[in-house]
Amino acid sequence: MEAVPTRPDTAAARAVDLRKVYGEGDAEVVALAGLTLELAAGEFTGIMGPSGSGKSTLLHCLAGLDTPTTGKVYIGDVDLTELSEKKMTELRRDKVGFVFQTFNLVPTLTARENITLPLDIAGRDVDRAWFDQVVATVGLADRLTHRPGELSGGQQQRVAGARALVSRPEIVFADEPTGNLDSRSGHELLAFLRSAVTDHGQTIVMVTHDANAASFADRVVFLADGAVVDEMRAPTTDSVLDRLKSLES
Amino acid sequence: MLRTTLKDLMARKRRLIRTALSIVLGVGFVAGTFVLTDTMNEAFDDLFTQVASGSDVIVRSVSAFDASEAGPGGGGGAERSPVPEDLVATVEAVPGVAAAEGGVGGYAQMVDPATGEAIGGVGPPTLGTNWNVVANASLELRSGSAPTGADDVVVDAATAKEHDLSVGQRIRILFQGPPGEFTISGVVGFGNADNLAGATLVLFDTPTAQRVLDREGEFDEIDVVAEPGVSEVELRNRIQQVLPDDVEAVTSAAVADEQSQQLKEALGFFRTTLLVFAFIALFVGAFVIFNTFSIIVAQRTRELALLRALGASSGQVLSSVVLEALIVGLVGSILGIVAGLGIAVLLQGLLAAFGIDLPSTSTQLEPRTIVVALLVGTVVTVVSSILPARRASRVAPLQAMRTSQEGAADGSLHRRLIAGGVVLGLGIASLLYGLFGNQSNAGALIGLGAAATFIGVSMLAPLVARRLAGAIGAPIRGLGVQARLGRENAMRNPRRTSSTASALMIGLGLVAMVAILSASLKASFDAALAETLKADFILSTSSFTPFSPDVAEQVAGVDGVQTVAQFRQGGFRVNDQTSFLTGTDPATLGAVTSIDLTSGSVDSLADDHTVLVHDLVAEDNGWTVGDEVPASFSTIGDTPLVVGGIFTENGVVGDYVVSLDAYEGFFTQQLDSFAMVTVADGADPAAVQRGIEAVTEPFGNIEVQDQAAFREKQAGFINQLLGLVTALLFMAILIALFGIMNTLSLSILERTHELGLLRAVGMSRRQVKRMVRWESVIIAILGAVLGLAIGIFFGWSLQQAIANEGVTELRIPAGQLVIYLVIAGLAGVLAAIPPARRAARLNVLEAIAYE
Repeated sequence: MEAVPTRPDTAAARAVDLRKVYGEGDAEVVALAGLTLELAAGEFTGIMGPSGSGKSTLLHCLAGLDTPTTGKVYIGDVDLTELSEKKMTELRRDKVGFVFQTFNLVPTLTARENITLPLDIAGRDVDRAWFDQVVATVGLADRLTHRPGELSGGQQQRVAGARALVSRPEIVFADEPTGNLDSRSGHELLAFLRSAVTDHGQTIVMVTHDANAASFADRVVFLADGAVVDEMRAPTTDSVLDRLKSLES
Repeated sequence: MLRTTLKDLMARKRRLIRTALSIVLGVGFVAGTFVLTDTMNEAFDDLFTQVASGSDVIVRSVSAFDASEAGPGGGGGAERSPVPEDLVATVEAVPGVAAAEGGVGGYAQMVDPATGEAIGGVGPPTLGTNWNVVANASLELRSGSAPTGADDVVVDAATAKEHDLSVGQRIRILFQGPPGEFTISGVVGFGNADNLAGATLVLFDTPTAQRVLDREGEFDEIDVVAEPGVSEVELRNRIQQVLPDDVEAVTSAAVADEQSQQLKEALGFFRTTLLVFAFIALFVGAFVIFNTFSIIVAQRTRELALLRALGASSGQVLSSVVLEALIVGLVGSILGIVAGLGIAVLLQGLLAAFGIDLPSTSTQLEPRTIVVALLVGTVVTVVSSILPARRASRVAPLQAMRTSQEGAADGSLHRRLIAGGVVLGLGIASLLYGLFGNQSNAGALIGLGAAATFIGVSMLAPLVARRLAGAIGAPIRGLGVQARLGRENAMRNPRRTSSTASALMIGLGLVAMVAILSASLKASFDAALAETLKADFILSTSSFTPFSPDVAEQVAGVDGVQTVAQFRQGGFRVNDQTSFLTGTDPATLGAVTSIDLTSGSVDSLADDHTVLVHDLVAEDNGWTVGDEVPASFSTIGDTPLVVGGIFTENGVVGDYVVSLDAYEGFFTQQLDSFAMVTVADGADPAAVQRGIEAVTEPFGNIEVQDQAAFREKQAGFINQLLGLVTALLFMAILIALFGIMNTLSLSILERTHELGLLRAVGMSRRQVKRMVRWESVIIAILGAVLGLAIGIFFGWSLQQAIANEGVTELRIPAGQLVIYLVIAGLAGVLAAIPPARRAARLNVLEAIAYE
């Protein structure tokens, strides 16, 4: 197995004084209020917070799906706010992996085609050995010719996870990836993400409201009102729940 | 419920407009046809009223035919004999006559002094007449003066303008007899108009007109003005009493009516033809509407289910969809009427481009046009929406709770197979029965059969659409993930794909059929000519208008010319049906064409009441040699002819042949339609051709062609017809493309999440566009493939049906059909532009947001 180089000293992604404001005047909603955050490479970071705290907006800005009103976003050394739409698309394609809550797969493509989709879009060759390994890890080897409609919800999310990893992105963003899964399937997916970080040094950022999911992370960042209010290392389900309670009070 | 529907519609104005577009174009075509033909009718009414305005009563010889019997286009069918000149004095002497003046009229075609080309010919007539103050009261001299001597001519202002003619200029004019040179003495207009309904006109003084138009001592009619206080009818009755039996007096109002009636009948045929194309366009529009509503209903399943869950009855759901269709239909029809005004202009331009010049006046939008357009557009839309509406009404309230699955199939495959098979079977049966059954309502049977065939195929198409789309898209699989996805998208919903493609199938099917038919016509014509044509040269005008017999006389004198055979064609009636009679000299006929007689002989034509008949016509009527043909001519009335011989299909002469001498007795106008020449043994054909060209040059429009060139010209004529029909089918194809656009736009709306995902994982806008484009191309080619298959079947059956009318060869122009396929694919690219743009502009964030 080929080792992925880890860079513990460099940040995989950074947000600097990030502001995101929706609407104008009376209808103005501040989603991010000058947020600064650094995400270390090779780490599994969980982002938590009550709804409306700005966690999804933060994820979208970090992933190049949304542009902040002011502030800077870096993936590696690249300043996303300087990129054209076209360059941003290429960055998402080549350097970022995604796992969404739903609608993760293209219904007309087989599991295999869905997994290699970013590579196919880029016109890049698939690294067979790495592909086989990822597929083996998610336990989908016998499901590759199936279409999403023929897969269970858990299997679909694992296909999405495999897709996020197969192009060896610098960073993977997961947005409530277990939100629609039963606990067993959710556990399987989280274990898979965890092993990607532990075994292959993959950087993963996951937004979740589930304390159990957060417990799989190395570090949990808590947001409220568009700003980082707290963080925790080596979280457990209980410690996260306690912290959430204290934040609400 | 009503308010919900209306609100929903207002919220989706773009969709409303897009759906209505297919109806706008179809209705526009219908309205445009009415506007164009009404405008032409009005132009002719204007013309005849104006022409008749000077006189109160017209004296002319009796015609054996009613105006309505003359058949479309006249064709010599409505000719009258002249009246003697001295009748003018007799008429003048009738009490109550203020003035009486003789008029002559006939063929007179100007030759452009600058180019040497004959002016006009196709469409409106080229007329010559005498400067007759009574008949032409509406004439107004624009410059110069009235013609006063044998050298003077007055020309119409439109021709003068178009060809830069001015007073004092010399001009050559072609007649039935020898051509002549004249000096333009004046230019006339008609009130505000520069010419009469597009006709070119030259005027001479009366003696000159009588001479050049071959009416010495005669007039075609006498125009009479009443004294004040004497009514037209009264005057007519008084004059009638002094006239011989074969001459009649008619009020000029009646003449105007009769003339415009006659033209209106010809126009009616023209209108019907255009309306057929308009209804084809509407038929395609109906497919598009049906498809659009099907998709909309499928997409609104949850919304409709919610309404049902909240207590709306299925009837209310049904009527809400039908109501939406009603509004779409009304809006579309209203816009269609507006579009029709523009389409009328386009149609006129199109016909002009194909050499058919139509008279024009201020645009006529009659209440009937508005009513018909509104009715047709709304009914077509509502009817097309009924099936989707029924489907909508069957949505169970429970479906509100489920996540909607795209294209959830309803109706079993089995049922579809049976229903589609039955419709297709009935369609083909009706089509073939109409083609081969010799029915009086054959046209309707064929039309209905063709429509049912299209519907049947479109019902069955979903069964094969998936595989077919896959096969069509197979070659592009290697062109990247966007091409693969485009192919998959075309395959994912076979019902939607095939009903979208079906709209294009109709247009392509008809275009292919016409292409096959015209290729078969050309091949058959070639084959017939190759077998029978012996002439070395064929003389005709570029537009197949008849020309002076003087040409043949001149050509006969050319060195190296052995035989000149003249052919004249005129309309007459047999058993009250209009037919065409060919007049030719039996002595020269055998030299230019090998005519095969199954019985009788060509020599029998020596008798002026003998006719040769085509074997199929003879068979239909049960005639054998010696039998009587009940013929009737406009000038001389019933004149039975005797069958002197029966010939097989010949390619040169038509159904009935008489000698030239006989022909001269039957018709007033004696112009040759074409002439054929053989070269003497030993003479150099090229030199002979130059010699012929030298003597025909002064006639301005005579083409001298050898066999190959003649065949090419005939082929060109058929090609032109093919081009015109294809152009008229363009509207149907355009509507089908809007259909593809509509389906794709709606599909994209439905695949928002999927597109968002593709964009999120790095698909570029350009790649998204390509994906949509490929889907569109595959759908378009699918429609074209189905259409070509049907077109080949239609073309084959049509050719078989008319095989015994001389179209014996079947030709399938493969190259041309392949080109159609390629064009269909390119059209798919065009249709994809708006939906592709829409897909590429999609907001990724909104697209991936959860519901």
